[in-house]
Amino acid sequence: MMTSQTHDFAADAGARVRVEALAPVARFSLRVRQQGRAALGRALGLDLPERVGEVARAGERAVLCLGPDEWLIHAPEAETDAIAAAGAEVYAEAPHALVELSDREVSFAITGPAAAELLSIGCPRDLGRLAPGRAVRTVFDSAQVVLWRDGAEAFRVDVWRSFAPHVGALLDAGRAEIAAGL
Amino acid sequence: MSRFRLPGKGRVNHAETVRFSFDGKAYEGLRGDTVASALLAHGIHLMGRSFKYHRPRGPVTADSAEPNALIGTSRGPGRFEPNTRATVQELRQGLECESQNRLGSLAFDLGAVNDALHPLFPAGFYYKTFMWPRSFWDRLYEPIIRRAAGLGRAPSEVDPDIYASRYLHTDLLVVGAGPSGLMAALVAARAGARVTLVDENPEMGGAILSDPGVGIDGQPAWDWLAQTLEELASLGVRLMTRTTAIGYYHQNMIGLCEKITDHLDTIPDGAPRERMWRVRATRVVLAQGALEKPLVFHGNDRPGVMLAGAAQSYLHRWGVRVGDRAVIVTSHDSAYFTAFDLAEAGTKVVAIIDTREAPPEALRAEARARGIELLAGHTVTGTKGRLRVASVTVNPVEAGRIGDPRMLHCDCLLMSGGWTPSLHLFSHTKASLAWDEQSRTFLPGRMTEECHIAGAGRGLWGYLDALSDGAEAGAAAARALGQEAEAPTPAVAHDRAGTGESHKELPTDRTSSRVRAFIDFQNDVTAKDIRLAVREGMRSIEHVKRYTTNGMATDQGKMSSINGLMIAADAVGKAPPEVGLTTFRPPYTPTTFGAFAGYHKGATFEVTRATPIDGWAEENGAVYEPVSLWRRAWYFPQGGEDMDRAVARECRATREGVGIFDASTLGKIEVAGPDAVEFMNRMYTNPWTKLAPGRCRYGVLLGEDGYIRDDGVIGRLGPDLFHVTTTTGGAARVLNMMEDYLQTEWPDLDVWLTSTTEQWATVALNGPKARKVLEGLVEGADMSAEAMPHMSVAECRVAGFKARLFRLSFTGELGFEINVPARHGRALWEALMQAGQPHGICAYGTETMHVLRAEKGFIIIGQDTDGTVAPEDAGLGWAIGKKKPDFVGKRSLARPDLVAEGRKQLVGLLTEDGHVKLEEGAQIVFDPDQPKPMKMVGHVTSSYHSATLGRSIAMALIEGGRDRMGETVHVPMPDGVVRAKVTSTAFYDPDGDRLKL
Repeated sequence: MMTSQTHDFAADAGARVRVEALAPVARFSLRVRQQGRAALGRALGLDLPERVGEVARAGERAVLCLGPDEWLIHAPEAETDAIAAAGAEVYAEAPHALVELSDREVSFAITGPAAAELLSIGCPRDLGRLAPGRAVRTVFDSAQVVLWRDGAEAFRVDVWRSFAPHVGALLDAGRAEIAAGL
Repeated sequence: MSRFRLPGKGRVNHAETVRFSFDGKAYEGLRGDTVASALLAHGIHLMGRSFKYHRPRGPVTADSAEPNALIGTSRGPGRFEPNTRATVQELRQGLECESQNRLGSLAFDLGAVNDALHPLFPAGFYYKTFMWPRSFWDRLYEPIIRRAAGLGRAPSEVDPDIYASRYLHTDLLVVGAGPSGLMAALVAARAGARVTLVDENPEMGGAILSDPGVGIDGQPAWDWLAQTLEELASLGVRLMTRTTAIGYYHQNMIGLCEKITDHLDTIPDGAPRERMWRVRATRVVLAQGALEKPLVFHGNDRPGVMLAGAAQSYLHRWGVRVGDRAVIVTSHDSAYFTAFDLAEAGTKVVAIIDTREAPPEALRAEARARGIELLAGHTVTGTKGRLRVASVTVNPVEAGRIGDPRMLHCDCLLMSGGWTPSLHLFSHTKASLAWDEQSRTFLPGRMTEECHIAGAGRGLWGYLDALSDGAEAGAAAARALGQEAEAPTPAVAHDRAGTGESHKELPTDRTSSRVRAFIDFQNDVTAKDIRLAVREGMRSIEHVKRYTTNGMATDQGKMSSINGLMIAADAVGKAPPEVGLTTFRPPYTPTTFGAFAGYHKGATFEVTRATPIDGWAEENGAVYEPVSLWRRAWYFPQGGEDMDRAVARECRATREGVGIFDASTLGKIEVAGPDAVEFMNRMYTNPWTKLAPGRCRYGVLLGEDGYIRDDGVIGRLGPDLFHVTTTTGGAARVLNMMEDYLQTEWPDLDVWLTSTTEQWATVALNGPKARKVLEGLVEGADMSAEAMPHMSVAECRVAGFKARLFRLSFTGELGFEINVPARHGRALWEALMQAGQPHGICAYGTETMHVLRAEKGFIIIGQDTDGTVAPEDAGLGWAIGKKKPDFVGKRSLARPDLVAEGRKQLVGLLTEDGHVKLEEGAQIVFDPDQPKPMKMVGHVTSSYHSATLGRSIAMALIEGGRDRMGETVHVPMPDGVVRAKVTSTAFYDPDGDRLKL
């Protein structure tokens, strides 16, 4: 079912790209109008980023701007209830939708010198223009994904749960191809 | 050493022998050979047979435009490929190839009887021949034509190869790595652009590979090439060989097909055979060069007759002389250099036949100096030789009169009709072509994309012009990218510039009916066929093409289009651009299906969505059915049950005890915000204002046209929060429709929509014992009938998991739907199965769900509705909030045709014989004795055998159906007319007593 390829690092030292299914995190979709941004930012402990693709971080909490009124929140699972409560607290002052999606999506980490190359088998974006630290909503093959670039050679892909086996199988196929070196 | 191979010459590796076989016979070639060059090195020209007349044929080109030398190649089971061009396929150890399109052997082809009968097969012969009698078509003509049609042998096994694909972004894509393309890439890369350079050949260089005698920037051309490639690599240019730009699409999207393993002796594990690149380039330089035109004369298709440029390539790239005695026939200067180079390599050049009266003096002098006879102002009127050209007949032409013939013995005849700029990719962009009267060819006209076209591709000739133009294009592209760039002027020594003339058929003294001058070699189209097509009324080149099949061969007209046009224009009596040029369409060269399919085969053919509970279903023997992209458990057969028995058992178990069903695929949308209730009032037909938190309601969604689009149960979790469910297939569509209204019509509403379909796993529990199974697992909610009546919802914990618990029923039994975070779906399911064991819990699939809901008359969107069913038609008038000022579709419900009498209405049908099950989709008539064609008054939408009722039941849309209760209608079926009674759709427990638990 789920593609989970976690490798012993020493044995895999020569590999040019690694694919890992990641442990669950707390995920929320936040929708709020311009007037409510500041209040939600205060509630979440960071300033909501203003431009699509920008990520704001506070501790292990990351908030990605996906649209003019849309943010995606990732946080450690232990913070789930606190985030929901923080939103509820400012609801009257700043009406918004804060919907938990921790189970809607799963994430893969794609790392290594050939990480961008592997993603290019299914992602039509120019990954060279996605700066480390940023993230975008895009597609991988026929699945909608959120693609985070954590570093020059480190990406994460969030994908809806039922699309994950397909995305995982394609990443596996691409990895075999890259390993073959042709 | 093969007799025609020149020791040490060419770019092949003379130290490495490669063994291969052709038609079962073993041969040796060299590393770097193509099948064609290796066979030519052995003196073999005969490589194939033509399609229609089965005429013997040899390679006419040395490249991807080859129409004749098509072979089948194989490297084991599933890896057979027909119609491979021998001029493109590189040798690999053990390569097995076979000739094709022959009956018997290549040398003695029984199919050649067609050639003797050629007067019977003029252009369009099958339009004329196979028309009458009409009845012969299906039984005789079509089977025969189908057997005769098609090139090569279709592979019969599954292709085991891997095909890959990638996306690529680049500042500048240069197509073609000849002199222009190399210079363009070099200049742009030096200026700092991200450059990708592609070429379909195994190595870069283009014409330079066939012209080592030219000097560039003070170096021999090949040294300059090596140094340039090195510099390109060091500048970070992505260099892609064996990569064909197959199509040029909108906004500089170019498709590239890269051949990866076909040339390798062994395929590394996991290596793809081909890779499709989807390239988005900011700028494009097209440097595809030009295609040499054959000359059109009687017998121009014999093995040994080939393009002069091809002979020159075989000589310089592969060190192969294509014959011992060559005759050159040309209308262009370029073929002189072939003659000179061949003479130098030891081939006797018998004569150069120039169709022009006055070839340039420099070339005449050079021919004289080499002792080559030059026959200017001559034509070729025929060739002889059975499987290889043995002689050519030439005649002087003076003032249009053909002089006396002279026969020249030769073993190869090298022709050049001049060069056509390769504008294929340029044409894919729908850019316009401009006819150039002086050069009598099409040149690039108005551009539609951010592209440049350079070198021979826009009609320039000679290395200095090609290199300079490439440099200019590279500089222009770089400047367009915001870089500073200047085009250097290269220095060229021993340039091979030149000009030529363009012809229709060469003049001849033969009776026109006896001339067989080929234009499309593969499809056996002759000049005569084109003229016949025009005589028979074809005026546009598109019609001429379809009537004669000219240009429809696998080379897609690369050899034939322009010659066909010249002759058609002459026959019509108009200028060529007025007759038109056939449209070039992708792909540029034949491309495998595998390359297009990429990863989309086998397990990754298409996304298959599975629920969190899917694993349990699989382990418990579920039979699946696809529902949109999902695979859903259809039924769970036990002990060899067939579907009917399994479904009957599942239905009974649910009605009598308790059934469990995976409803996770239901679409779910969280509607949240202060204006949530207002939004719901505007979207759905139902009123929502008075729905209290903790209660739910069946909602109906219409389109603007008033027809039913979707439905589902919607729970109100708080004043500002609704949990909306949609149909499985409608999830994405409904969310998009809602977003559309919200963003474009009601941006003022403070409400937001979020898809939670996959956040929740949903398990439905139905049956009189459902509460007994569930209540022990529920914390934080009172499960009693009083506290949790039908159509209510609670947030609580079930089996320890955070849950949204609905009490609702799609079966007519006491029912619950439990939503838990998706990762816990299977654990919840298993907990319920365990708790249900003492009560005989039974897992059921979608078929049982369908039967149970049909027994209650509940509709399925898309099955009982088809986009033309309004709420009243479906008996859902009660779901319309009559007092609401508006909702989507409200206005349309008052349309005259929606309030008219006699609309089709959803009713129940009971067949007179309860054993007979109607067919879904079957048409219905009121009077089976009326004359044909009968008036159809509706159709069966749902039909099942109901184990509960012990008979069949059906639902149908019938004109004025609700006014016909108790009447008999007739359903004509192949084995007789079935009588059925119109009834209510509530077949089971019409008063809903079973919900009152």
